[in-house]
Amino acid sequence: MQRSRWIGAGALASALILTSCTSGPAGVDAKQNSKAPLELWTRTTPGGPGEKGAQELAAAFEKATGFKVEVTAIFDDFETKLQQRAAQKKLPDIVMNDATQIGTMHSQGLLREIDMGKIKDSAQIIGQGLQSGKSLDGKQYGLPISAQASALLIRKDWREKLKLEPPRTWDEFAAMAAAFTTQDPDGDGKNNTAGLAAPLSTKRGYASWYFSNFLWAAGGDFITETGKGKYKPAMTTPASVQAMQWFRDLGCKTKAIQPGAVTMDTPPTNETFEAGKAGMYVVGPYLLPRFDKSLGADKYEVVPMPKGPKDATVLAEGSSVYLMAGSDNRAGQDAFASFAVSVEGQKKGMEGTTGYTVQIPVNTNVDIAQIRTDPRWKTYAQVYQDSGRYAPSIPNWTPVRQVTADAVNALMADCGLDINAKLRELDKQLADILKEQGIAAS
Amino acid sequence: MSLDQADPAALPATGPAPRKVGRRGGGAADRRVRGRRGGRWWTPWLFLAPALILSLYFKFIPMVNAVTMSFQEVQPYLGNRWVGTDNYSTVLQSHGFREAVWHTIVLAVGQTFGAMALGFALALLMEGQSRRLGFVRSAAFLPVVVPMAVVAELWRIMYHPTGDGMLNSILALAGMGPSGFINDPDTSMASIMVTGIWRGAPYDMMIFLAGLTSVDRGLYEAARVDGASRWQRVRHVTVPGLRSVFSILFILAAIRGLRVFTEVFLLTNGGPNGSTEVVMTLIYKLGLEQNRLGVGAAGAVLLFAATLILTIIVQLLRRRESK
Repeated sequence: MQRSRWIGAGALASALILTSCTSGPAGVDAKQNSKAPLELWTRTTPGGPGEKGAQELAAAFEKATGFKVEVTAIFDDFETKLQQRAAQKKLPDIVMNDATQIGTMHSQGLLREIDMGKIKDSAQIIGQGLQSGKSLDGKQYGLPISAQASALLIRKDWREKLKLEPPRTWDEFAAMAAAFTTQDPDGDGKNNTAGLAAPLSTKRGYASWYFSNFLWAAGGDFITETGKGKYKPAMTTPASVQAMQWFRDLGCKTKAIQPGAVTMDTPPTNETFEAGKAGMYVVGPYLLPRFDKSLGADKYEVVPMPKGPKDATVLAEGSSVYLMAGSDNRAGQDAFASFAVSVEGQKKGMEGTTGYTVQIPVNTNVDIAQIRTDPRWKTYAQVYQDSGRYAPSIPNWTPVRQVTADAVNALMADCGLDINAKLRELDKQLADILKEQGIAAS
Repeated sequence: MSLDQADPAALPATGPAPRKVGRRGGGAADRRVRGRRGGRWWTPWLFLAPALILSLYFKFIPMVNAVTMSFQEVQPYLGNRWVGTDNYSTVLQSHGFREAVWHTIVLAVGQTFGAMALGFALALLMEGQSRRLGFVRSAAFLPVVVPMAVVAELWRIMYHPTGDGMLNSILALAGMGPSGFINDPDTSMASIMVTGIWRGAPYDMMIFLAGLTSVDRGLYEAARVDGASRWQRVRHVTVPGLRSVFSILFILAAIRGLRVFTEVFLLTNGGPNGSTEVVMTLIYKLGLEQNRLGVGAAGAVLLFAATLILTIIVQLLRRRESK
């Protein structure tokens, strides 16, 4: 064959490959087939107990309804992999992921609106959970299936050794943090303990995530709604500045936050608490099985966060079921969503001792105490109900979380930084983000 | 070798090849002669085809896609929207971009020269044929084969910022410290640089060792006879003999330095207080963490252009030098 023919053949092959890369939006209006198996993606470690829990929930659903479900567990780069499937125009049918992901997925057209008329027990879903699944225009795009909130874990043996009571105010919290840092609570004769474990790295915006528990308790806010879905930056309000100053003093003045916190994400911070290097940790209930095993359930206790200058508001989060666009089995999607929030589905999701699909139930007819006799779970459920607050459903919450994490990290890392100047700079960045997302208050 | 080549009948005729007389009449005959001499012209292409197809599919098409994406608002499901140079503006105007560029340059220069200097020193120490040296060389090469995630975790432990941290214990013996290392904005960049040098130096060492074998031993003898000291022999014989090795290593290390990501991402993720933010971590945050793939693509194209320009400059300098 002549060289030119080979070049032609190569060009043709390249064109074919390129064409295949830019194929049309197949599957957007897919032909419906109620027998088609549902592909379910869940954000949990593959091969771990979380995947097993999801499989058991899927099996119970299959048994109850006859629809088939194939579970895929993905943890690392979950969102990136979802984007890859979006590029192929072949999304999974159902996704179980963080409630805060709704804005990103909705703005990219990945979600199908949930018809609440097809959700049998929709009236029994906890109000704030239901609210977390609404987009900015008030339509339901996510259905909560699991809730969680932050509570305070305390080294009980340390507290008792130093004859302290669980803190009920920020002053008591700071005093306990200082005592754990300076009074050798582990009794090894060394100055090697800290009051509070905190993941203050900017990775995935952890510093912002953690700080929100303190910011909201002080009455501060990252961004404030001004009405009609418009927001304005709020990190320079007196309450926000006060919260930042107080939290910063814990690290800079009292030195009560674990050394190296500003470069730590969650795994090393978890290790700090379980290795007896820090005496308090503000975290959700999902770590209880881990700490029970590594540290011992008798070594620590769970109490609600102490009241801040305003109240005891803490970060509430959870998982939602998202019905993905382009599915060829919308009836199956609706049936799964309905089952997941039903009493039966919620109870099934709470079974086991480690890999819960449901942390705190979102169905008001399910009493956590009846299924999990451990009173610590009741504490978490009470905190969620009384003080839990979700991040707002704006088009894309991630940039807000990222820039606020950068600022918190900066202020905790450099104790000489001017707090007011840094927060003014942060407000300017937040204003730009709100403007870019089309939700800035004029 | 192809079957045609193995066939004695197909072997080229001995003696000089017939001279090409004219373009028109000699074309077919010329092809036949070439075919007989070197096999079919497409044989090497056939062998290269798997690699070329894989490169086309996994490298070049994505690269072209990335350039296209850099001018679009990427919405994989809804369809991309053309936004002109908005993504480039976003990257260039993003908070801390200039700082990230500066940090990248500082880190690339520091790691490149640090790793080359240390690698060269190690190569001089470990040059020779002894079996024991082979073992030592393998041991010294270990940091290169250890996964970066493990390296980062090891250094995180060594950099523990309190007095009982490993490196701080050593500093204490010298009456210094404790240092915050990666947790202090003043020392974080240097700490990451040291980790990069520790990991990159053994790789450079192996390249230098390979280069050292090509340096003429006679020159050392002549220099010694002329009374050159050990340092003078290194300076006037070894270094000039390794000139090409230096330039190749420089290009490789500089590109590696500009693309630095993993150690920064794992050790500090750009913090504390943005003191170690490099272009790649910034692109990652803008593109993948915030799901703005077009913006990320624009950043990647800018970085690619910078790397390309650097490579071309070095090549031009080499060419001028060789003239």
